[in-house]
Amino acid sequence: MSKKMVCFCQDLTDADIVRAIKEGYDHLETLKRFTGAFMGPCQGKMCAANVVKLYAETTGHPVEDLRIPTMRPPVEPISLGSLAPEKGGDDDA
Amino acid sequence: MPRPKHYDIVIIGGGVQGLSLAYNLALRETGKIAVFDKSYIGSGASGRNGEMIRSAFGSEEWIRLFDTSLRLWETLSAELDFNVMFTRCGYLVLASTPEDLAACRTNCKRQNAMGLKTRMLNAGEVAELIPSLNPQATVGGVFQKEGGVARHDAVVWAYARAARRLGVEIFPYTEIVAVNVDTAKITGVRTIRENVLTGIVVNAAGAFAGQVAEMAGVKLLLDVYRLEMIVTEPLKPFLQVALSSPHFLAYMHQTARGEFAGGAEPQNLSPYLGLKNTRHAVQDMARKFGSLFPGLRGAKLMRQWAGIVAKSPDRGPLLGAVDGLEGFFLNAGWGGYGFMGSPAGGRLMAELITDGQVPDALYPFNPDRFATGQAIVEPTIIGAAEDKG
Ligand SMILES: Cc1cc2nc3c(=O)[nH]c(=O)nc-3n(C[C@H](O)[C@H](O)[C@H](O)COP(=O)(O)OP(=O)(O)OC[C@H]3O[C@@H](n4cnc5c(N)ncnc54)[C@H](O)[C@@H]3O)c2cc1C
Ligand code: FES
Repeated sequence: MSKKMVCFCQDLTDADIVRAIKEGYDHLETLKRFTGAFMGPCQGKMCAANVVKLYAETTGHPVEDLRIPTMRPPVEPISLGSLAPEKGGDDDA
Repeated sequence: MPRPKHYDIVIIGGGVQGLSLAYNLALRETGKIAVFDKSYIGSGASGRNGEMIRSAFGSEEWIRLFDTSLRLWETLSAELDFNVMFTRCGYLVLASTPEDLAACRTNCKRQNAMGLKTRMLNAGEVAELIPSLNPQATVGGVFQKEGGVARHDAVVWAYARAARRLGVEIFPYTEIVAVNVDTAKITGVRTIRENVLTGIVVNAAGAFAGQVAEMAGVKLLLDVYRLEMIVTEPLKPFLQVALSSPHFLAYMHQTARGEFAGGAEPQNLSPYLGLKNTRHAVQDMARKFGSLFPGLRGAKLMRQWAGIVAKSPDRGPLLGAVDGLEGFFLNAGWGGYGFMGSPAGGRLMAELITDGQVPDALYPFNPDRFATGQAIVEPTIIGAAEDKG
């Protein structure tokens, strides 16, 4: 099969995805965990459509039935510091 | 009507404990074994944890059980023929106050007396080990060089694959809805699809172990609670060891990809048990991690999630047969320690089930211990909201 990049953050080709599905990681959630697709710095924003389409073609599940693995909040990356603005240093828990 | 399926042993729960047990039972050629999970394998706490591994606890009972596990971790990838990415990067329990330090010292003495090679570090030695750590956050700690981390999903898959190779049948997306009992004896289970016959059921249902026990008419002393974690964007290496802080109720490490992964518990746990994160917990983690590692404050948060676990009154797991119900076994209540405990949990429970004899390391964790006044006192575990990796 051709080698087309489908997930840019994690350097995954279509062949990588299909191989993982054939090895038994055939649920979107396990596929994500096994290949790392959806888990790069963009959190799947660039690759979700590619991967889901390829998954549907390979497994025969219609795309409409698929739930894309949870986009773990936050949607836009924010820094740890801005989440804990009160103060820093040696404060107590 | 086709005849119902029959298995010699049915395991409810395809988490790391249920799968390790299935593999170890199959190694001992105990007949036909099936594992049922209501979702995908590893969908429970086993695919959501902090991945931290140690045996440096404070009581003889915990040290013996978890050191049995640690020794199995060392050769697990080879044994299962699957890289579980166990890294012996070392595990430091950080002391932030003189009281913490005194506790570390007492625990270290007991650990050494039992043959563990843990050692006390002073503040300077901690700073040398982790230069990025806020020097004001520590007065020392106890270090276990043999501790470390492994990849949670890989461990789940490794056990599942090895178990399948040995003939175990694994059924994901197959919830158990009833446990069938006849005159104080297990006779089978009912899945969402069909009845299955078996004389032995092992309850390895993680946070749902209480519900599964109730299906068999057994009431367990288990409380369910949730733990939350965050992961940052990949960062330059700055934390080479697995680190936990009793003071902050926090645990953390840096993954092979450079992400900082950590979890912490707020002082007041909310009663909410869903899998969405709470703002309260995320802010609490951000504050604690930022104060331990000032350099982390600029790091971007990438993912966050929660998982639920069950704990017993003394926070030790419930391991063994249930008195009064023949064929019903528990491998449950692992709280925040069931990942590191999985190699030993499965190995020793398989011994108990097949030989009918309770291995020494398991005996203290027998499910009857609360009724017989033999609850375990594990000093590294304190208060209400402290189960940490
Ligand atoms: C955020 C977090 C951090 C943690 N950090 C650490 C750590 O660093 N180190 C460590 O050792 N431990 C840690 N833990 C604890 C560890 O993850 C658990 O103790 C361990 O995963 C328990 O494994 P288990 O197989 O017993 O349970 P689970 O993995 O929860 O598996 C139970 C399975 O049973 C299934 N099930 C339930 N009911 C039914 C039913 N009726 N029918 C069929 N299937 C059913 C569920 O779907 C689930 O897959 C952490 C936990 C969390 C949540
Ligand atoms: S392109 Fe796949 S995670 Fe970013």
